[in-house]
Amino acid sequence: MAGKGGSAPATYSPSPTVQKKKTSIFQEDWVRPDGRGFHQCRPAFFRTGAVNAASGSAYAEFGNTKIIVSVFGPRESKKAMMYSDIGRLNCNVSYTTFASPVRGQGSDHKEYTAMLHKALEGAIILESFPKTTVDVFALVLESGGSDLPVVISCASLALADAGIMMYDLVASVSVSCLSKNLVIDPIFEEENSQDGSLMITCMPSRYEITQLTFTGEWSTPKIDEGMQLCLDACAKLAKIMRSCLKEAASDSQE
Amino acid sequence: MGFPDASKDLSSEMEVDAFRRLFPLKYFERHLAEAIRPDGRPLGKARDTTVVLGAVASANGSALVKIGSTTMLTAIKMEVMTPSLESPDEGCIAIDFHMPPICSPIVRPGRPAEAAPVISKQLSDTISSSGSIDLKELSLVTGKAAWMAYLDVYCLDADGALFDAALLSAVAALSHLQIPAVAMNDDGKIVLLSEDDGQKKAQEPVNKEKRNLTLRSIPFSLTCILHKNYILVDPTAEEESIMETVVTIALDTSGQLVSLYKPGGPVLAFTSAIQDCVALTRQRVKELKGILEEANSTMQVE
Repeated sequence: MAGKGGSAPATYSPSPTVQKKKTSIFQEDWVRPDGRGFHQCRPAFFRTGAVNAASGSAYAEFGNTKIIVSVFGPRESKKAMMYSDIGRLNCNVSYTTFASPVRGQGSDHKEYTAMLHKALEGAIILESFPKTTVDVFALVLESGGSDLPVVISCASLALADAGIMMYDLVASVSVSCLSKNLVIDPIFEEENSQDGSLMITCMPSRYEITQLTFTGEWSTPKIDEGMQLCLDACAKLAKIMRSCLKEAASDSQE
Repeated sequence: MGFPDASKDLSSEMEVDAFRRLFPLKYFERHLAEAIRPDGRPLGKARDTTVVLGAVASANGSALVKIGSTTMLTAIKMEVMTPSLESPDEGCIAIDFHMPPICSPIVRPGRPAEAAPVISKQLSDTISSSGSIDLKELSLVTGKAAWMAYLDVYCLDADGALFDAALLSAVAALSHLQIPAVAMNDDGKIVLLSEDDGQKKAQEPVNKEKRNLTLRSIPFSLTCILHKNYILVDPTAEEESIMETVVTIALDTSGQLVSLYKPGGPVLAFTSAIQDCVALTRQRVKELKGILEEANSTMQVE
C-alpha cells in the first residue's frame, strides 16, 4: 500500500489557505484570538516522569503547545570525543509530522537545537559529571506558538527530574511586538504577524539571564518594557515548575 | 562458574539489583521456575492496556495507546492526491513508524533505530494483508482525486512489544478516522466544506458529510518470547534484550492468521510452541477487541 512506485505522489491538503488577517491587528480594539489580556500568559501544565525509559522526563502543555522532553545520562561520551574534565551537553529538538496544522510545514526549526543548548549550558553544573554526556531530547507533539520557550522550560524540569545538578531552574518566556502592542506568550497566529519578538531565558532565583534573543524592530523604552514583562513571567513560571517538582517528590514518597 | 550461590540469602536491596545487572539470565530464570516474572505477572498475562481516541485534535483520526509503559501516539492526516492510472478509483494509505530520540536510550538523533524501519514495514504489510480497509472508500472523483491518508505512528516510550502497541494504535486511529466533507471548486481542486459557506452553490459536494471508514476484520497482534520451554507473553524491553527469541503473531477478529513473524533467535520454534502462541494470541485478540470497542463507544457518547 505504501510502496506504490518509488516516488511519493504529490499531495495537497484540502484545508482552506490561512489568510493573513494583518489588518485587524492595527485596529484599536483588537482582542487576542484566545481572549487573553496582552500581558497574560497561557495556563501552564507540567508533569514529570512522562517517559519511563529515560533517566528524567517532563511533559509540558501551554494551551495548544505540547512538548515532551527526555533526559538520558550522565552516560558515556562518544569514543571519538576528546577527553574532557567537565561534562558535555547534547541537545536535539524535533517535531512530529502532525505538530503543525498542515502536515510537513513548519517543522523546519533546525536552529532550535542550538538555541536550547545555549540556553541550558549556563545553568547546568558541568563539573559534576566529568568525562560523560547528558543528552536532552525534545519532541514537539503539537506546535501552538511560543514553542522554544516551552521546550526550554520543560527541558530544565526534565533535567531536575533526572537529578542533574543545576545552579537553578531555567524558565523561558517570549514576547511579541504587534504594531504598538506587546503581547506575552504569543500563539501561532500572533507569531506569524509579529513585527518583532523577544525571548528571555533566565534563572529567576539568581536573577541571571542565560539567553536573550531579539528579532525585528525595537525601541529602547519598548525593550525595557518587554524585558520587565518577561522577567516577571519567568519568576511566576519558575514557581509553577517548583511546585510541580515538589508534588512529584511527595507523591513518590507516599 | 563465578556466580553467587543461588540459595544464598539476598538480604539487602543492593545485592538484588546488582545480581539483576550482573547475571540477568539467572535472575530471570529463578523467577520463571516459580512461573512468575520480576514485575509479578504470570507468564501468560499481558500488561495493562489503555486506548484513548482523539488525542491529537488537529488530525482527522488519532489514538494514544499504552501497553504497560510502552506508549504509542498515532495521528492520521488526510491529503488529496491524483490516483494512479492502474487504479483510478482507489486512494492510498502511507504508514510510517517513527522512534524519536525521547523514547529510548538506544536511539540517537540522526541515526534512526534499527527497529524503526522493520516495524514500519511490518505495520504496512499487516494492515494491507488483513484486508481491513477497502481503498475504494478513499476515492473522491474517479481518475482525478483521491485521498492519501498519512498514518504516522510515534513511539513515545519504548518498553518492549513495540509492534503490538504500534498495530493497536494504528488500528484504533483508523477506527476513529473521520473523512472530512469536501467539494470540488471551480479550479478543479478539492476544498474543505465549511458550515458557513455562502458560495456552496458553486461547489458540488463530493463527500456529503463526515463519515467513518468501514473496517472489516481488524488485525491485532501479540508478541511472545520463547526461552527453553517457557513462553513469555508481552515482554518488556529488559526481557527482550536478555532472551532473544521473539515470535509475533497477528490474527484478525474472525480468527484468521494475518501474519507470523519469527526473526531468527537461538530457540527453535517447534509446531507445539507456535500453536501455543497462536492460542495465547487468540485470547489476547478478544481482550483487545473489547478494549477498542469500549474506547470507541466512549468517544461516541461524548
